[in-house]
This record gives sequence, structure tokens and C-alpha cells, in this order.
Amino acid sequence: MATLKVSDLTKNFGSTQVLKQINLDVSDGEFIVLLGPSGCGKSTLLNMIAGLESVDEGEILIDDFVVNRVEPKDRNIAMVFQSYALYPAMTVRDNVIFGLKQRKVSKEQIEKSLKHFSKMLQIDHLLERKPAQLSGGQRQRVAMGRALVREPHIFLFDEPLSNLDAKLRIEMRHEINKLHEKLGTTMIYVTHDQVEAMSLATRIAVMNEGIIQQIGTPQEIYDKPNSVFVADFIGSPAINLINGTFSKNGAEPCFIPEQQKDDVKISLSDYSFDSEPKDGQQIIFGFRPEHINLPDVSLKSQLPVQLKPALIELTGYEKEVTFEFYGNEVTGRLPRHIETELGKPISLNLDLSEISIFDRESTMRI
Amino acid sequence: MQVADPKQLVALERSAARKRTFYRWLLFLILGLFGIYYLAPLYVMIVTSLKSMEEIRQGNLMTLPGDIRFDAWKTAWSGRGYAAGDVFLRPFFWNSIKMVVPAVAISTFFGALNGYALTKWRFKGDNLLFLLFLFGCFIPYQAILLPMARTLGIMGISNSIVGLVLVHTVYGLSFTTMFFRNYYISIPDEMIKAARIDGAGFFKIFFKVLLPISSPIIVVTVIWQFTGIWNDFLFGSSFSFGEAAPIQVALNNMVLTSTSVKEYNVDMAAAFIAGIPTLLVYVLAGKYFIRGLTAGSVKG
Repeated sequence: MATLKVSDLTKNFGSTQVLKQINLDVSDGEFIVLLGPSGCGKSTLLNMIAGLESVDEGEILIDDFVVNRVEPKDRNIAMVFQSYALYPAMTVRDNVIFGLKQRKVSKEQIEKSLKHFSKMLQIDHLLERKPAQLSGGQRQRVAMGRALVREPHIFLFDEPLSNLDAKLRIEMRHEINKLHEKLGTTMIYVTHDQVEAMSLATRIAVMNEGIIQQIGTPQEIYDKPNSVFVADFIGSPAINLINGTFSKNGAEPCFIPEQQKDDVKISLSDYSFDSEPKDGQQIIFGFRPEHINLPDVSLKSQLPVQLKPALIELTGYEKEVTFEFYGNEVTGRLPRHIETELGKPISLNLDLSEISIFDRESTMRI
Repeated sequence: MQVADPKQLVALERSAARKRTFYRWLLFLILGLFGIYYLAPLYVMIVTSLKSMEEIRQGNLMTLPGDIRFDAWKTAWSGRGYAAGDVFLRPFFWNSIKMVVPAVAISTFFGALNGYALTKWRFKGDNLLFLLFLFGCFIPYQAILLPMARTLGIMGISNSIVGLVLVHTVYGLSFTTMFFRNYYISIPDEMIKAARIDGAGFFKIFFKVLLPISSPIIVVTVIWQFTGIWNDFLFGSSFSFGEAAPIQVALNNMVLTSTSVKEYNVDMAAAFIAGIPTLLVYVLAGKYFIRGLTAGSVKG
């Protein structure tokens, strides 16, 4: 059992407010990813949960106890750091059991845990080595081992994969995922890598400038971003955002791209607005690159378009094609077998059931 | 691009090789000259210390001794056996050892502790405090003579080894703190955070995590402090006299108080003896210094 509750948490560094009244509720066994650009306060939040930074305002509760003033070692947490933070002078064995020794755990118990977890992480053959003699991936495992032997109630990860190369990063990501499946421990994970966030999280909290912009399952965040920031931050290549005006046009709501004559209209009749905008309101029309498709009869709401490729980039499995779209550059993701040629228009369809509309002034979803 | 004639290329190649050889030899020549220039005094010292006075009077400064005699070294170290007025180095050498070992150890230890606190347990005003420490590095020896003399007097430890240990420790703290602070600032804070989560406290982290990886900077600090304290003359001559004097003061007394004739061989031997410990520290610790640097750092 391990729940975490953060309420109205505020942190100042001098005169800059790095966290502004953060609220977060984590139930037992969840995998929460704090995602955001550097400087958004996500690492500060994690450090505060760990007890490494003091709390200015608000409360942190672990298992319904306020832990604002509890020492890090007494919070029943373990943390894995970006630089692994292994103790260079100690062997792997001593690194792993350092925490247990501080806790005065019995020798037999220490040996048992060490054996169990070093086997699980496949570091049992490295126990007598020093960190300097290990590869990046092995160091990462040792750092995880050090966290695991403590059998904490909450795991905290501070960008643990950022120092690894691309291939190893994916490997370790799988392992962290498996670990969570196996242990079912509550985990809080900080990253700026949206792919990591999408693939690991049960819920993602997207942060920017000290605020949680949106919190939800990866699917929710991806499909229904609640602001331009979230829409733009998640997804690669980035979502296409086009400025324009909302028009009522009699009964049918429409989107008119900026600097276009009135005859270009995109019907929004299938979009479910949270709150219907006024006639003539400035809005942003957003759609993801994979929603420019070949015509598909099964889709009920689509817009046929003729698009001229301006740039074609092959990524292996598919192509990222940049098109001219009513005076804007948009990116489409097409299967690689589709024949494309620079400057030669092709007939494609824009899937209108998956779009997002934002208010231009507030940049929030409407 | 211009197409070069193959003959021309061969000629170019040859002249480049010639030039390279020439500069290489020029470099060695200049380095060799500098080497001789710096080693010449050492040579004169050693050669003179091994000669008899007879030889010194008759011969040239650079000539090798006829037969090697260690009499002068013996005299410098343990005296001529007179009852009074015989100054020799042995007791003062031990005085210096008794002064330098604790002074180096204490100032290095507290420098490390200061550096650790200043970088890993940040507090309000820590940068200002460090600035004051830096300021301490720029205070000349002479400026603290009078206040220090008063302090030692009040504490009742003037003209004693303990007093000198205190003076050197206090004066050295600025430097040792600066060394360790600059070293520890490059060590990732995450390591300290990890240790805190593991349950280690202020001193445990210092002794178990940080100190074991500090050997390079410890060696630098020890070399710096040892050389400075061993070779110090001003504090030694100001705050001690007679039996409590360190070796540099004794050396000075010995050279200046020789009665009838100047015994250059004894003076040279004495000066050399006074320099041996610093040489040893350089030779021994220098090796560890390089070893420490190459032992492998935190990140790969």
C-alpha cells in the first residue's frame, strides 16, 4: 500500500516561483510520469517528494501521513538518478547494500535481498567490481538494484535513462516496464522524453512553468490535449496547428484558415465542442500527422484534399512528408509504399474525427 | 586547384622533413640549457657538501670532489660534539616534523570538511563565506604577525610547537578550503542525495562517500601545505626561538653563527638536509597524484 497526495505545493527559488500550487493524487500501484521541458519544475517536484528539497507551502502526504518535515530516509522511498549517483569508492555489492547497512538490517536479511535482487537485475556477476569498471547500462542496473533492495513503498526516477544511448535506453525502458508489472509498486518518473512517458505511464502529468497542464492516461493526453502546449509537446513529428476563424455559416460550424477566401471551409460539424465558440472567434485547428491519410471508406468524417509534397523524409517504416496546406506547412505521415514526388499533388484525406480545436487567445481546448 | 608537379612535391616533402628535424633539435637544445640552468645550483650544493674545506679553498666551484666525504653532513646533522655554541640540525628537524605533520593533517582535514559543507550542504550566505575564505588567501604573512603574536600570548602557547601548528593551520585553512571546495563542486550532488535517501548523515556521507574519492585533491593539498609549512621562515622566526625553533630557523642560525671560518661544505649539507623532506613528498605523492587522476571518475 502506497499512495501519494500532493496538495497546493509551492516552491520558490529566490524570487522565482518554480512550482505553483501543484495538486497530484497518486493511488497505489500507479506509474505516474511527470513530463515537461527542462526548467518546468518536474525535477524539483520529485526532489520535494523525496524530501531533498524543503516545502515552502502546501503538503505532501505519503500513505495519508503529512511528510513535509520527514527526513528522506524515513519516507519509505527510493530514488534512481540520471547520473546513477553510485558511490565510486565502493564495490557494486557495497553500493547496493549501503542503505540496508545504514538501516541496521540483519546480515542474513541483507545477503538474502542482495542475492534476490542482483539475480533479478543480472548484476550478480558484477558484485565485486567498482562502478568505474562498469558500462553505462550496468551502472544503471546497479542504481536500480540499490533502489530495489530497500523495498520501498514508492519509487522515484529522475530521468534515469537520459545518459544511455538510444538502443540501451529502449532496452532499459522495457525492463522498467516489466519491473512495474512484476512489483506493482507505485512509481513516479520524471522525463522530458515523450516516448518514454507514453510507453511507461499509467497516467502522464504534463508540466510547464511550474503548473501541471494536464494529467491523464497517455491515450487521453495524445488524443485530447487540453491546450496548445500539451498538443505541441506530445507527438513526433509535432501536431499541425493552423490559425483561422470559426464561422457559423448558417447551421454548419466551419473553420476558415487565415488569409484564405471564404470559399475554403472545413466543416466542424462532427467535432464535439466543450463550449461552442462565437461566430468569428479566432481559433487554432490542430491535427496530427497520421491523420492525413489515403482515402478510407470506413471513416465517416473526412475531408478530401489535394496536397503537394514540399519535402519528403523517409524514416524507414514510413515517410514524413511536408505539404503546403492553405498557406501553412503541415507534416503528414504516410506509408512508405505511397508514391510521392516533390511538387506533384496527391489526393489524400484529412481525418476530421481526430482533430483538436483550441481558442487562440487562451490556447485552451474548446 | 593547382595541380602540383610530382618532383616539386618530393622537394617539398624533403624540406619539410629537414625543417622538422631542425626544430626538434633546437627544442632539445633550449630545453637542455634550461635544465642545466636550473640544476646547476643543486649540483654545486651537492658537490660542495662532499668536499673538504681544503678542496673548497683550492678548487673551483664546479669541480668534482677528490674523494667523497660525508663529514660535513655528519657535522650538519649531529654537530661537532662541543658542549656549548654548537648548532646542528637534528633536534630542529624533529621540531619541524612535529610541527608540519599535525599542521598539514589538521588543515587538510578541516579544508575538506569546509569544502564539503560549502558545496553539498548549501546554506544562506555560503558564497559570501567562501569569498571571505578566498580573501584569506590574499592576506600576506606579514599582516597577521602582530595579531597572531598577541593571540598566541593570550593563549599561552607562544614559543612552542603547538603555537606554530595553530598558526599554520589557521593560515592554511583558506587555501585548503579553496582546493576542496573547487574539487567537490565538480562531484554531482546526486551522489549526496542518493546517500541521504540511503540514510547516511552529514559525517557518514563525508567519510564513506566523499573522502574515499578525494585522493587527488588530498595529495595536491598535502604537497602545497607541506611545502609551505616546512619552508616557512617568517612565522618560525617570529613565534619561536631557541629550542622550539623549526629547521629553517635553525639553518639560518647555523649558517650565521659559525665562528671563525665559514664552513661552506657544512652549510651546503645543512641546506640540503632541510630540503630533503619536501623533495621526498614531491617524489612520493606525485606518483599517487597521477594515479588518483587516472583512477576513473564517476561518469563514463
